[in-house]
Amino acid sequence: MIWSAELRRAVRSGRVVVLLGLYSMFSALVLLVVGYATREMQAQVNAKLAEVGADAEASARAAEEIHKGMLGVLTSNDAAMMEALSQVPLVVLIVFKVTLFFLPAYVALMGFDQLSGEVGPRSIRFLTVRARRSSVLTGKFLAQATLLVGLVLVVDLAIFIYARMTNPDFSAAMLVLNLVKFWLAAVVFSLAYVALTALCSSLFRLPAVSLVFNFVLLFVFWLMDTIGRGVADTNPVRFVRYLSPSYYAGNLLHPQLSEFGASGAAYAAFALVFLLGAHGVLRARDL
Amino acid sequence: MSELAIELFNVTKRFGPKVAVKSVSLQVRRGEVYGLIGPNGAGKTTTFSMMCGYLYPSEGTLQVMGVDPSTPGALKRRLGALPQDAVLPPGWEVGALLTYWAKLSGLEQPDSEARGALEKVGLTEAWSVQTQALSHGMAKRASMAQALMGRPPLVLLDEPTAGLDPRIAAQVRQVIKDMRGQQQTVVVSSHNLQELEELCDAAAILDKGALAKAGSMTELTGQGAEFRVQIAQGDVIIPELTAMPGVTAARMESPGVLLVRFEGQAHPPEQIISRVVGHLLQHGVLILGVSRGQRLEDRVLQLV
Repeated sequence: MIWSAELRRAVRSGRVVVLLGLYSMFSALVLLVVGYATREMQAQVNAKLAEVGADAEASARAAEEIHKGMLGVLTSNDAAMMEALSQVPLVVLIVFKVTLFFLPAYVALMGFDQLSGEVGPRSIRFLTVRARRSSVLTGKFLAQATLLVGLVLVVDLAIFIYARMTNPDFSAAMLVLNLVKFWLAAVVFSLAYVALTALCSSLFRLPAVSLVFNFVLLFVFWLMDTIGRGVADTNPVRFVRYLSPSYYAGNLLHPQLSEFGASGAAYAAFALVFLLGAHGVLRARDL
Repeated sequence: MSELAIELFNVTKRFGPKVAVKSVSLQVRRGEVYGLIGPNGAGKTTTFSMMCGYLYPSEGTLQVMGVDPSTPGALKRRLGALPQDAVLPPGWEVGALLTYWAKLSGLEQPDSEARGALEKVGLTEAWSVQTQALSHGMAKRASMAQALMGRPPLVLLDEPTAGLDPRIAAQVRQVIKDMRGQQQTVVVSSHNLQELEELCDAAAILDKGALAKAGSMTELTGQGAEFRVQIAQGDVIIPELTAMPGVTAARMESPGVLLVRFEGQAHPPEQIISRVVGHLLQHGVLILGVSRGQRLEDRVLQLV
């Protein structure tokens, strides 16, 4: 009941529309920049090939090599993933990777005041004489998660439609299959961050403090992943990357169920830990 | 079922180094209207918040309607609460919000419960008004309405008439009186001592977080144990008064005001008052008036 009520309230409020607009604008910007850069690069390669007298077949091979090279970079040269994503326009993959990086920030902006915004002005007191604190938390988490699922679907759908329009080889069947795959990956990824936002929101009375703390944690997680990947294989510091949710993003598009499942399980575990933390905090704190 | 609606035993609440409530013990019987009295910072709202389960006591134990209020979901449908300074969540129409809360409380006819509660507080016209558009008084009444939905056996009201105009405040007082008639227990925290004297069967006076005095309104105001006689003219012979059966003390409290204390439990007040007044009249003393006990306000000022 709290879920549906909070969802209705959020949909009625302007924030969801603003965030959808921001997310769409940002995705569109990345899409246009990446699309432009890809086209320019291809044109320059074609021009160089024309200078040395290469034929159309050679140009196509060069384009294929560039595509493979870029795909290799985006998939950490995982052969199975490269094969599975070979049909997906490169621009979609790049936009997906970039938006995945910023998605936690959107999640934070969407839900930073879900609890602190009610604890500060004490509105939550009207709820807690009627419902358990855990029910309040669960309802608010589910409302945020539902909003995010919808928001990501809308944006992903727009990206894929753009990709279909600009790539005639990208069939409708491939569009639907990959849309579902990319959407699922983004949902699995972002649910852990929705839970993290719930935890940050449960810790403070002031929504602004919750938001700042949330961003600090996102930065710390990013730092842990980056440092963990950057140090030598013999350095024990490398293990800190396993404590960062972003480390597990790489295999979310993996065609093998075991690889995807491992990433999904990691995100589910993070979501569970954050949610349990939020529950513990909300259960123990004065309202 | 316990006769007590609320029982606090040595309850202490600390906020960091600050002690907001110090070892308070009190009992509220079922069916009575109970007042929480005290100046600002006395610990009324903190005590109230612990009774509602919003705050956890640092020490001591509480039982509200037979359960620990910190137990998750324990007070659902047993408690209606009007918390002080709690802001109605924005983005809702009043009617929709109250209906949602009534559903959350598990009430069978949420829509009519919401409408009925708004009617009780004279706010039916606000059904479709957004909560953020309500004036302070209207928001207070909407908050009061949510506490009344489902006729819970225990209703806790923190400053229910603060900021209301006199007509609406009188309406709210009538709602509280009606609840007493329906065997609901009501706890009211207020600065308005005249209002509490009118409404309450019993009260606790808090000062600086500690319990200064608790008891029935008759005990607190001394109505059953003392009276004052306003003297217009004549000499009062104190020893003769103190020698009368049942009188424990008599003295001139101020020029023209005679204070008489008596054993209220052994002697009905009307007997003692009649005897003393008769004695004074026999001795040529002219009387302007007689008043039983003290006003609650005077009593509180003595204590805090």
